[in-house]
Amino acid sequence: MAFNDLTVFSAVKKRLGWLTQRQEILSQNIANADTPKYRSSDLKPYKFKELVRSESMQLNMQVSDKSHLPGRRKRIRDFSEAKDRHPFETSPSGNSVVLEEQMAKINESQLNHKLTTNIYKKHLRMFKIVLGK
Amino acid sequence: MDDIIKTMRISSSGLRAQGARLKVISENLANANSLAQDPTGKPYRRKTVTFRNELDKAMGLNKVVVDKIRPDTSSFGKKFDPNHPAADADGYVLTPNVNSLVEMADMREAQRSYEANLEVIKASKAMLSGTIDVLR
Repeated sequence: MAFNDLTVFSAVKKRLGWLTQRQEILSQNIANADTPKYRSSDLKPYKFKELVRSESMQLNMQVSDKSHLPGRRKRIRDFSEAKDRHPFETSPSGNSVVLEEQMAKINESQLNHKLTTNIYKKHLRMFKIVLGK
Repeated sequence: MDDIIKTMRISSSGLRAQGARLKVISENLANANSLAQDPTGKPYRRKTVTFRNELDKAMGLNKVVVDKIRPDTSSFGKKFDPNHPAADADGYVLTPNVNSLVEMADMREAQRSYEANLEVIKASKAMLSGTIDVLR
């Protein structure tokens, strides 16, 4: 029995992947909160469609010589990213990062992460009950 | 897990950039009264910092780095002090173009951005330990 064939586990895995990628983008926004002309971006909302999307492997380029460029490494599953078209506020330097908004989003993804890992834990405990431990 | 480590790298690049900014601000503040030695000399010129978004190709992430530390080209102030060695024929001495109010405001901004980056690192750490707790 493969673990990821179980619906809950595969859903949790995808959701965690989305959350960590979002965290990465949000931290990028916050690090660039004072960079001129930087425009904040965010991941597109997580939809049910993502859950049922079949995964196709993305292969990275192999190098046979040290002087070859390997190209940008890709994740196996990349969720699509979008720039904020209508930012709440843009500073005179052309920066559209609003720290409060980004911090709220960070907190949101942290809470969702906790929720998702707890679902994983609960489901795992059910299996343990069945196994009698 | 790799992604969360990356998140921490990005935030720490933000911390480093804000630290560099704070260093320049303290330089400006410390030299707010540095005058010239003789009438031909110039007093201390204020420095400004700008940041730039840089792609770290090896890690595949967008870091923030200090772009350039440039001199502020605004004009110097003047002070009437005929006894000063740097005073010109009319008795005026050029003073640095540092405005301590502007520097303090800048310092506060750097402090807030630093705190924001620190909070992101804390949040990422909490997420990471949450993932590890699944094993317990």
